[in-house]
Amino acid sequence: MSETFKYLSPEWAEEGLKRLKAQIPAEKMHNVTTSMSNIYTNCPGGGERYLFIGTEQGMFTRVEVGEGEPPPAEFRIIGEYETFAKITRAEMGAQRAMMTGKLKLKGNMAKALKLAALADRMNRVLSTIPAEY
Amino acid sequence: MPRTLDPRDPYYIDNPARVNAIQREMQKQGLDVYLGSRIRTLTWTLDAFIPWRSYVVIPAEGLPTLFTFVIDATRLADESWLDEDHVRAYAPMGGMDQISAVSDFIRDELRLRKGRLGYEDGMATYTAEGNLTHYEYTRFKEALDGFEFINAHEIVDSLSIIKDPGTINRFRKASLIVDEGHKAARAALENGGFKGMTEAVIGGIGALAMRRAGSVSEWNFAGLNEISSGYRTGLGACTPPTNREIQAGDALMLDFHAMFQLALGDHSHNYLIAPATPRQRWHADNFVALVQAVLANYRAGATPSTLAQVMMDLAESRDCADFVVPGCEHGIGLFGDEWRIGAKNDGPFPYWTDPDHAYQVDEMVICAMQYACPAEGIGFRYENPLLILKGGCEVMSKYPLAIEEIG
Repeated sequence: MSETFKYLSPEWAEEGLKRLKAQIPAEKMHNVTTSMSNIYTNCPGGGERYLFIGTEQGMFTRVEVGEGEPPPAEFRIIGEYETFAKITRAEMGAQRAMMTGKLKLKGNMAKALKLAALADRMNRVLSTIPAEY
Repeated sequence: MPRTLDPRDPYYIDNPARVNAIQREMQKQGLDVYLGSRIRTLTWTLDAFIPWRSYVVIPAEGLPTLFTFVIDATRLADESWLDEDHVRAYAPMGGMDQISAVSDFIRDELRLRKGRLGYEDGMATYTAEGNLTHYEYTRFKEALDGFEFINAHEIVDSLSIIKDPGTINRFRKASLIVDEGHKAARAALENGGFKGMTEAVIGGIGALAMRRAGSVSEWNFAGLNEISSGYRTGLGACTPPTNREIQAGDALMLDFHAMFQLALGDHSHNYLIAPATPRQRWHADNFVALVQAVLANYRAGATPSTLAQVMMDLAESRDCADFVVPGCEHGIGLFGDEWRIGAKNDGPFPYWTDPDHAYQVDEMVICAMQYACPAEGIGFRYENPLLILKGGCEVMSKYPLAIEEIG
């Protein structure tokens, strides 16, 4: 039986980095250097949490979670915990969440659009982590 | 890949200097940020064709940032002189609708929470002028509630009125391109070529010749190349082409438009399709004489009203004043800058040409004259970009002024 991780725990982040590195080679990430902070509002127990993901020339270098202000990132995506959880459980598409205003993007959207497929690729990998929400 | 600006290019425009000039005026007026939305402002500052609803945010110092519809942002990052960090997109997504994208940028990236914001409002004959709508104004006021909104369009209007050498050269080129359209049209019409040809087709023949000569668009929103024939020539000064076939005995008006690096070629030429009656010839000779007289009087210091007086005095002396449409010009600049003459909005009718505006050296204008006799089913139009000089003017389209009888 595989190990289950608590969603957004340091262990979950560590497993996420491992899986992203193993399953998405740099060329699949178009050798891009970028960073993204997902900011989760209305978290269980209250408060805000973040998930930060960074790449250097297409290599995943950082997957970090925490509370409060996230590290500076090229893009910030803000939404409720439950919205992000639904996306990670593949119950809702990220694009639909954006188009219905459940997620709010901050950053250069023209650039973000070029990275949309990459974000989907990352989400698919992260959704394979056995998680407890 | 943003376009590189090369001062050795004859069509070079120093866009960063234009932005600096706006910022100096902002400082004088105590503006912390400028929110431009008119096509003329976007074109003049960014030197790119920006057809979709867009906004340029100009901070007190530093580069401007364009916000445009998401479908066009990548192209504009490629074609404007700004890099992709300064060409942003808006779209119907959370945080990315145009109000949120622009106001978040002002608050979060420019780090402005309050101050004086210049915006653009007014009215125009030009449908696509691009003033901030009431809805946009209201929403921006809500989103930027610490800001005082100041209508500041006169900054760009004042700065753009005198044309720099690169702009003038672009207009010269656009005008010579239009001449190629007229040459092709004449060749197609003569020796009976007009038979069975519609207004729309002769407009297309001119368009193809102009595109081959370097034009990218017949930019005019009132029908691209405006064509009228027969009785339609007497209907006034807006003539989108129709499928009417050109007939023997018609007057024919060809108003061709070309665009070269956002400069606008605009030259109208007229013919009589043989056989012409003596009365038609009389009307045609009147019109050519009126155009010659007006062109001879354009110079620095002339005003729209003095030129109109020259035209009407001559028309009265030739007994054709009833057929002359008052006014002899409209303003012109890079794409989106059309119609109104003068920068200061202090004429007798707000947002209309000031009849007492005194032309200055290196201003440009379209000499635009219309002769219309609907009762006789005849009319003519003359348009040509002019550069105002100290003692005269440069007529940019070189196609010979005449109303020939061809058949």
